[in-house]
Amino acid sequence: MDFPALIQSIQASPPAQWMRTSLAAMPVVEAIHVLAGATVFGTILIVDLRLLGFPDTRRPVTRVCSEMLRLTWIAFAVSLTAGALMFAANAHTYIGNTAFRLKMLALLGAGVNMALFHGFTFRNVKSWDQNAPVPLAARIAGAMSILLWVSVIFLARWIGFTKGFDFQVPVNPHIDFQF
Amino acid sequence: MTGVQGSIGVLQGSIGVHGFAGWLEATSASDAIKSASWVIPLLQSIHILTIGIVFISFLMIVLRVLGVMRTDEPVDAVWTRFAPWMWSGLVVMAATGITLVVGEPEREFGTVSFWLKMLLVAIGVTGTALYGRSLRSAAAGASTVFPVSAKAASVLMVILWIAVIFLGRAIAYDKQVWGALSPHA
Repeated sequence: MDFPALIQSIQASPPAQWMRTSLAAMPVVEAIHVLAGATVFGTILIVDLRLLGFPDTRRPVTRVCSEMLRLTWIAFAVSLTAGALMFAANAHTYIGNTAFRLKMLALLGAGVNMALFHGFTFRNVKSWDQNAPVPLAARIAGAMSILLWVSVIFLARWIGFTKGFDFQVPVNPHIDFQF
Repeated sequence: MTGVQGSIGVLQGSIGVHGFAGWLEATSASDAIKSASWVIPLLQSIHILTIGIVFISFLMIVLRVLGVMRTDEPVDAVWTRFAPWMWSGLVVMAATGITLVVGEPEREFGTVSFWLKMLLVAIGVTGTALYGRSLRSAAAGASTVFPVSAKAASVLMVILWIAVIFLGRAIAYDKQVWGALSPHA
């Protein structure tokens, strides 16, 4: 299957159709995406700030990581699921949208940054875990992470203002849903 | 349904919301916000970014009260660590939120979600301030286990803030979410 056909089949899939036809789906899934996305950002920010030495270096880096990253991964899984549903509903439009493409690039960047940090810098964490200056590589990883996740959120909001929709909201809908 | 819709109409009529929205829409401040297409997305992005800071700061305090996280620290220390982020975040949210309202008063004032959100924000801010005060006056040590009532109140506050976040997104979908209750219906 070539790429356009794949996008076409994603957009024609049952979850995509449900997203387009159910009145409840879009606002609820979008709200979940915002909540989960904000949770990913907020929890990662605590780790990134610790890498930058804020508020201090008393709390072990390993402890901050293990506490926060559980929450981060749960929120990321929820956000990804909600985002995939939003994507499926308008796959064709998203793929052609510049803000969406840049967001995926920023997400990839955040993933690579995290992998490099955990693969290399984090290995000798024992020597700077607590009450010690954080090495430059780890501080750079923290700063990069903040920059990339802020970019992800800004680009995400830009998608909503720059993409058209492939469907129309029904004019006189039958309401079977209360928020 | 019509009764409730009627009362919303009366409420809006009595405080002259439509007239006020029209006036606000025509001000030069509103024009300035609308003048460049990037201003509103930028403000919304900052607003969402700050949700992450405020919601997670509050969640950290709550998770400590629930005994899930940072149990090595007294709740007072956790409050001192996160409350300044939470309150400054709320100030940023209010500033971006008010600017968004000045920019698009009709979009906000004409929805059920906006007014319900404002009501829950008022309850949430008051509740969070009282919550913080009672936590600090409890003078709890690191080993303190909080009573079920304190834990229940914590969970309720989290649900309240989640409802605020949902209502924020629902402003864009007022008719789909509220059906006949929405002035857009």
